[in-house]
Amino acid sequence: MSDVSTEAPAPSVKPTVFFDGVSSRRRQVTLALGDALEISEEGGAPVRWAYADIRRADSPAGVIRLACTTAPSLARLEIRDAALAADVTARCTRLDEHQTSRRGIAKIVGWSVAAAVSIVCVVLFGVPLAADRLAPLVPKAIERRIGDASEVQVKTIFGRNVCEDPAGKAAFTKLVNRLRDAAGLDDDSMTAGVLPTSVPNAFALPGGKVYVLKGLLDKAENPDEIAGILAHELGHLKHYDNMRGLIYNGGTSFLIGLLFGDVTGSSAVIFASRSVVEASYSREAETAADTFAIEIMHKLGRSPKPAAELMFRITGKEGGSGLTNILASHPLTEDRLARMTREDRPANGPPLLTDKEWRALKLICGSGKV
Amino acid sequence: MNDMQWTPIGSEPIPPPLPPTRVDFSGNRSGFRNMVTKGALLELVTFGFYRFWLITDIRRHLWSNTAIDGDAAEYTGRGKELLVGFLFALAILVPIYLAYFLIGIEFERWQGFASTPLFISFYAFGQFAIFRARRYRLTRTVWRGVRFWMDGSGWAYSFRAMAWGLLVFLTLGLALPWREASLERYKMRHTHYGDLRGDFEGNGWTFFKRGWWLWLLSPIALIIFPLAPFFYAEFKAREWRWWLDGIRIGGVSLSSELPHNAFYGLYWKVIGWWVLLSMIFGAYLGGATALVVQLSGLSAEQLFGPGDPTKSIPMLVIMVIGYFALALALNIVMRVYLQRDLWAKVLETVEVHDIAAAADVRGSGELASALGEGFADGLDVAGF
Repeated sequence: MSDVSTEAPAPSVKPTVFFDGVSSRRRQVTLALGDALEISEEGGAPVRWAYADIRRADSPAGVIRLACTTAPSLARLEIRDAALAADVTARCTRLDEHQTSRRGIAKIVGWSVAAAVSIVCVVLFGVPLAADRLAPLVPKAIERRIGDASEVQVKTIFGRNVCEDPAGKAAFTKLVNRLRDAAGLDDDSMTAGVLPTSVPNAFALPGGKVYVLKGLLDKAENPDEIAGILAHELGHLKHYDNMRGLIYNGGTSFLIGLLFGDVTGSSAVIFASRSVVEASYSREAETAADTFAIEIMHKLGRSPKPAAELMFRITGKEGGSGLTNILASHPLTEDRLARMTREDRPANGPPLLTDKEWRALKLICGSGKV
Repeated sequence: MNDMQWTPIGSEPIPPPLPPTRVDFSGNRSGFRNMVTKGALLELVTFGFYRFWLITDIRRHLWSNTAIDGDAAEYTGRGKELLVGFLFALAILVPIYLAYFLIGIEFERWQGFASTPLFISFYAFGQFAIFRARRYRLTRTVWRGVRFWMDGSGWAYSFRAMAWGLLVFLTLGLALPWREASLERYKMRHTHYGDLRGDFEGNGWTFFKRGWWLWLLSPIALIIFPLAPFFYAEFKAREWRWWLDGIRIGGVSLSSELPHNAFYGLYWKVIGWWVLLSMIFGAYLGGATALVVQLSGLSAEQLFGPGDPTKSIPMLVIMVIGYFALALALNIVMRVYLQRDLWAKVLETVEVHDIAAAADVRGSGELASALGEGFADGLDVAGF
């Protein structure tokens, strides 16, 4: 319209709104740009904000939202008029000082990389060292408690009762004692037994518990085969591999979880990196136990090769892709067989068990199949 | 028909209620996409530590572009707070993990696998974390210069969540609506905006009536797999609408006309992207293998076959890089569709009634620490 009076300065079309940070009342205000920003509501005392104290707050497009470091922390001034907003922001020199700048992001990246490098170093060098040094220091009593716990678990899986045939048990005890003496394990609390299950395996538990599963006895063709495998398990006991593994696995999974931000360790990345790191550690421990087994068998004047032949009979050729090799927790059976074959020496010691004892050992769980 | 017209025309005793206010979301989609893309790359080079700042940026974007009655909200939390909260949470979680381990051993000595139920204690802790993380987010939410805040106890909430969880388990999921109603009531009744107190008026029965047939049909989705996203989208849309309809803060109430099929497109887009990205990943692996075979002169047999594992190192590196790229791309897709688009889709259906009740609210409430968010992150139960 042409007859609009023009005596007053045109009020900005879009209102300027002030929230005082104390109440949610929406106050329409006018601004005066003097030596400080003066915010006045009709009929109220004006509020003064020094330009140096004014900071930008998040706002949608088309609105400039300001806060002030010396005002109540939630006080907000919203300017919707673009020209007025430009006028005000031009005077506020420290408007964006608190925002994350490029330098701030670079700092975050730098510190994160430093943290990651340090965590990786601890995983690769610190934790194995700590595990090696701490494992022998774990009090026997604690180790035995952990062993008791895993024994209960194992027996839940593989059968409650240890095989008890008297003649077989005598033969088994004789075999274990000969190996133990040769191994120099003075741990009087060491126990060994045969569990009635068809799974062909053997393992050592913390606190000096060695178990041979019946399936392994069934596949074995002579005492040396079983002896070599028992010697390998004694190697794990001698090297405190259980406690080392426990400390190592606990430490690495915690640290890798820390790195990727999930201490329960459930996501795929964590799982993958844990598997690779732990498998390499476990392969080292297995190789060391093999070395120990070879030593013991030589000391007894027997060859370590039959044990590897027994393993090969059970697993067959294992070598898969390069990936499975990296993830395997044991050295490949064919590699172990090759190594034990190199260490093969003609037997010069007495047989570990007589034929009769060997037959009794094979029948330790009774004659029936399990 | 005639009895409908017994009131004399023109004598309406009740004044027409004020029209409800809408909620506007004005966020720029490509701006958001750029932000999460850049954030995902930074997450990669920082081994994930950047997530605290990225989550904060996402919230700042969503909050500040959401305007109720013409005034946009604001998120005042910062990434550094989340980092500090996470570190504190770790310091507290470590002894808890150790204790868990030791108690577990004692249980196992007594009976094999008796310690398995102990894992439930972590679930309870996760519920506690969810409550405390909500408190953090709420105290960083500001509208018209007044913040939201929360009281109530995280452990009381966790206890309710566990008890209801057991009931849901025993009823094969049928009790779920009542669990959600009860938990939401607890959360909302301890939610405040300045001196206004929140409430939740949704009840389990209403929710049950809207979704019971989904519960009945869910076994079908296990057989006819492509139906599952439809069912889930139906369920989520009904859940959102029921939840929004129940929300009260002081005299202000919300309602939503979210259609039951609102999320079909979103979920299928995510699935489409997922399939596409997996195909690209597959093609990349195939191409990279062919290239390595060409360049090294080794056969594919030798690359993946038995023998020297060092030969497979280049392949391994290629796979790891591809995996990270895939994970990042999926992350971007999830954030764009399931956070930003879902947010916008839900908000455009929301109506706010009697907003005048919030016209002059006195601010109150203290800021909560980010420890809860740290626990939620550490226990992997973090939400938005």
